[in-house]
Amino acid sequence: MGDNNKWDDKTVAAVSTAAIMLGGLLYYWVGEGQSTVELLELAYGSVKFFNNPLVF
Amino acid sequence: MLGSILSQYARTLSVFAVLLLIVLIEALGVREAVYPGLLPFFTWMRESSWLGVIGTTYGSVYATVEAVHLLSMAVLGGTVLATDLRLLGVIFKDIPSETLVTGTHKCFRWALLVAILTGIFCAAGVGDKVYYMQVFWIKMLVLLLGSCYMLFIKQPFLTSRPHAEINPWMIRLLAITSMLTWFTVAATGRWIGFS
Repeated sequence: MGDNNKWDDKTVAAVSTAAIMLGGLLYYWVGEGQSTVELLELAYGSVKFFNNPLVF
Repeated sequence: MLGSILSQYARTLSVFAVLLLIVLIEALGVREAVYPGLLPFFTWMRESSWLGVIGTTYGSVYATVEAVHLLSMAVLGGTVLATDLRLLGVIFKDIPSETLVTGTHKCFRWALLVAILTGIFCAAGVGDKVYYMQVFWIKMLVLLLGSCYMLFIKQPFLTSRPHAEINPWMIRLLAITSMLTWFTVAATGRWIGFS
């Protein structure tokens, strides 16, 4: 992490950018997953991924 | 004092300036104001530009360019996976990660350039279709951010010092972000194709 173990410019920029982008991308994909489940519920009434696959 | 901080943390300040710009664009409604004005450009791209005319007239040319686009994306994805899975310690453990990071980057840049150039042609052929697709704009945003991240943030950081001197969790964070970014670009690209 640079001289004297300090967070230099490249380190701060890399970590903050990566954290922001990762957060944004996870937010996007979780949202897509939720809307997909909602569409499946609209189409099939209920969606149970783990308890009873036959209901799906 | 302020000048010293500005020069010492120029890269970090640039990142936060871009973030602030994005927030302002959303908060002030700039995106909604600009969006309708882009439709004539996309219509012109498909109906009047030579790219759009060739793409819509000659199916074989469109298919060939699209194949090159997919191949360049495959090469790009290959370099990303080889580098990031090595950084995570999953593959190529006998090769130093510094060697892979520097060795694959030139290939990544060429693949990105070819993917963008062929992608412009592919988008021109279906310009009035992609304009209305939210997933197209998501892909463009992630492509732009991912390219900037790779060229100006990740690569300069990873080539600035031996990886043994970097906190392993930082390396994992960079690698996972990179993989998810290019996965999103690839997935949204296929989503466009199937919409």
